[in-house]
Amino acid sequence: MILDLHTHSIKSDDGRAKVQNYCQWIRAKEIPIDGFVLTEHRQFDDSSDYSGLAREFDLCILKGSEVETEYGHVLVFGVTDALRSAFDFTDIRLPLQRVIEACAAHDAIAVPCHPGRKRVGMQAHVGEFGVPEGVRIVEIYNGGSREREDEIAQTMANDLGYLGIGGSDAHIVSHIGRCATRFPATISNMAGLVEALRAEDFEALTFRT
Amino acid sequence: MDIEALREEFLNKNFDEQDFDVDPDDIVNFAVACGEVAPRYTDPSHPDFQAPPTFASSFHAGRRMPEGFPKIPGLGMDGGKATSLKHPIRPGVRLTGRTHLHDIYTKTGRSGPMTFLVMRMEIYDPDGVQVATADTSVVIRERPGK
Repeated sequence: MILDLHTHSIKSDDGRAKVQNYCQWIRAKEIPIDGFVLTEHRQFDDSSDYSGLAREFDLCILKGSEVETEYGHVLVFGVTDALRSAFDFTDIRLPLQRVIEACAAHDAIAVPCHPGRKRVGMQAHVGEFGVPEGVRIVEIYNGGSREREDEIAQTMANDLGYLGIGGSDAHIVSHIGRCATRFPATISNMAGLVEALRAEDFEALTFRT
Repeated sequence: MDIEALREEFLNKNFDEQDFDVDPDDIVNFAVACGEVAPRYTDPSHPDFQAPPTFASSFHAGRRMPEGFPKIPGLGMDGGKATSLKHPIRPGVRLTGRTHLHDIYTKTGRSGPMTFLVMRMEIYDPDGVQVATADTSVVIRERPGK
């Protein structure tokens, strides 16, 4: 099963894509993914129900978040009410350690994204703050990466022994599925995704040309 | 800068009110500038003549910010505009725009930390029916090197 683990809809301040249009695009253009995770910026969207779209388009549509820390942006999978009360998702200076520990305590998982990007990527801050504890997975393919950003991410992952995922970081419809992650088993809900990530059996993919 | 305190003090309070007389020439000029070719936007004699959907973005408040709003340090830039049209805007009608600060939030991008201010103008017809909203965003980027 292939999931795009990093997407944004109009629920994000800079997102320009409706979820329905993502679904239509994936099917119309035969994008080779089976679903996607909406990781809205600095929030968890608990008001939207995409189960109807998921059924209509036979896609797995899950919801996570993208929060901001001193090490840059971090995807969070497995958001619950308890996790949301553990830290302020709107805070743009969250301590990464706090996010990682809260995720560990609430059956969630934190994944630094676009780590090769300046200012908002982890690699840019390792020199100042050191290698953070508790990171196991980073995003090594990001659909919004500019020249060399993914290369920096992959080098960092290799050097520090991290596993890699892929996500498009789509903010507009035509960018969905540019990068994704392949899992050996079918995933139908967020608990299943968290379990699959913890099983450490997945492969980052890029479809960028 | 305490964003929560700013939100608490300034959000959702009207700080400006302006009247706008919609002239057919203004509609045509705006439509042509946008590249519109549909006669209902470019021909005042068309039976359904009306302003293009984004016309409300051409209305400007008299004040840019609420009175007493502090200067946020950094480099200010236009952060974009967004309009939502509820009813067609037609010429010969005096519209009233009331503006409030709709949102204040921060984020971090490739260029560093940024603060976004979203001003929302709600536009009403003479009967008090809201015909459109027009959001104007200002982004203030922390000065490089900070």
